[in-house]
Amino acid sequence: MTIPEPREATAPPSVKPLPPEAYVRMTLVLRVGLGLSLAILIGSLGAYIMTHPGATSGSVLSANPILGYLSFPGLGSGLASGSVEAFLTLGLVVLVATPLVRVLSGFYYFRQGGERTMTAITLAVLGMLLFGLLVIGPWVR
Amino acid sequence: MARLSSLVDLAVFVMLLVLVAIAAGLVGSLTGLGGGVVVIPLLVILFGASVPIAIGTGFVTILATSSATGAAYVRDRLSDLRIGMFLEIATVPGALIGATATVFLTHANLESALLIALGVVLLAIIPGSLARRHIELPPPLPSDARAQRLGLTGEYHDNALGQDVPYQAAETSPALGVMFGAGVVSGMFGIGGGVFKVLALERFLNLPMKVATATSNFMIGVTAAAGAGVMLAAGYVNPVVAAPVAVGTAFGAYLGSRLLPGLQNRTVRLLFLPVIAALAIEVILRGFGLP
Repeated sequence: MTIPEPREATAPPSVKPLPPEAYVRMTLVLRVGLGLSLAILIGSLGAYIMTHPGATSGSVLSANPILGYLSFPGLGSGLASGSVEAFLTLGLVVLVATPLVRVLSGFYYFRQGGERTMTAITLAVLGMLLFGLLVIGPWVR
Repeated sequence: MARLSSLVDLAVFVMLLVLVAIAAGLVGSLTGLGGGVVVIPLLVILFGASVPIAIGTGFVTILATSSATGAAYVRDRLSDLRIGMFLEIATVPGALIGATATVFLTHANLESALLIALGVVLLAIIPGSLARRHIELPPPLPSDARAQRLGLTGEYHDNALGQDVPYQAAETSPALGVMFGAGVVSGMFGIGGGVFKVLALERFLNLPMKVATATSNFMIGVTAAAGAGVMLAAGYVNPVVAAPVAVGTAFGAYLGSRLLPGLQNRTVRLLFLPVIAALAIEVILRGFGLP
């Protein structure tokens, strides 16, 4: 292990370090997002097994049961009617959305700090993530 | 009776997935390559899953494990959110391109080619897990103009060394290039690509080892969200397969993180890397239609 002499690393005056609350909130986002998505997925998976007595490993592997719930109207009506498959989809959506909320938090803090370039970069990352989910995915389906 | 039989079949299938995923998460954590590297080939080889469904499951695995382990890194401020967010401008488009390519290859009935490419990538990342610099604090290097303008510097408290450690990013252009490539690989095959990310963070940005590892973990989650979004919307994430695998892998990774401090890291990697190599070779053989 190499330990060099202490050194200085200073940001330019226009750049402010992210506030400690940014790290606290992002930690919270990760924990809540993961806990919520796993709770929904485990609960609805148990319900799926109990309510689909004819389903087998082969049938599940050959046909994805959530294909009818991959649009917002389909997911909304499925959740409203209490469909187990819709809740399985919701669990996945929450899991995928957790990093997006993290990026959104970064956007908020960079904007608050008046950092135009980092705000633009974060917004671009968020835009690309949403573009993949809402445009590319449905387009290639 | 037939209903009971299928109920048992599905329940046993789910439990087997959890057990295999725990082992995959453990091996992935101990080797530093991530659970997806083990679980994706196993889904194809043991469970007969199609390649895109296995890859879609890989994304869910990454999202669960990076959120599970990433929370502690962010809390301890080891993840550099500024540097991570800056580099995501390269990994996210890479992941979108990679995932789109996977869907198109699947539609073109080129799953075999995808399987061979997956095996080759798995073989290629194995040396990377041994090629880390093992330098806790690298000697300082000057920052390039972009890093200075964006303030890509930071500081963390190193408990083991008992000191605050400042650092600054060095060369951003080659790091962005490697990150784009890491994004394409991650998006195409549903693996974290942490080996490439840590390489770029250590070699080109000259970050301390702990910051590089933690920032890579932060980035893996966001990159995986890009690929997962495409695969989910395209219908290639099957929750009946993905949910038990995500739970099992996250638990296995947690077990691995508890075991790792008491183990010789390099020895453990040398022990398990042949297992991953064997899986990669099996995947390639299947791609060529060989038993």
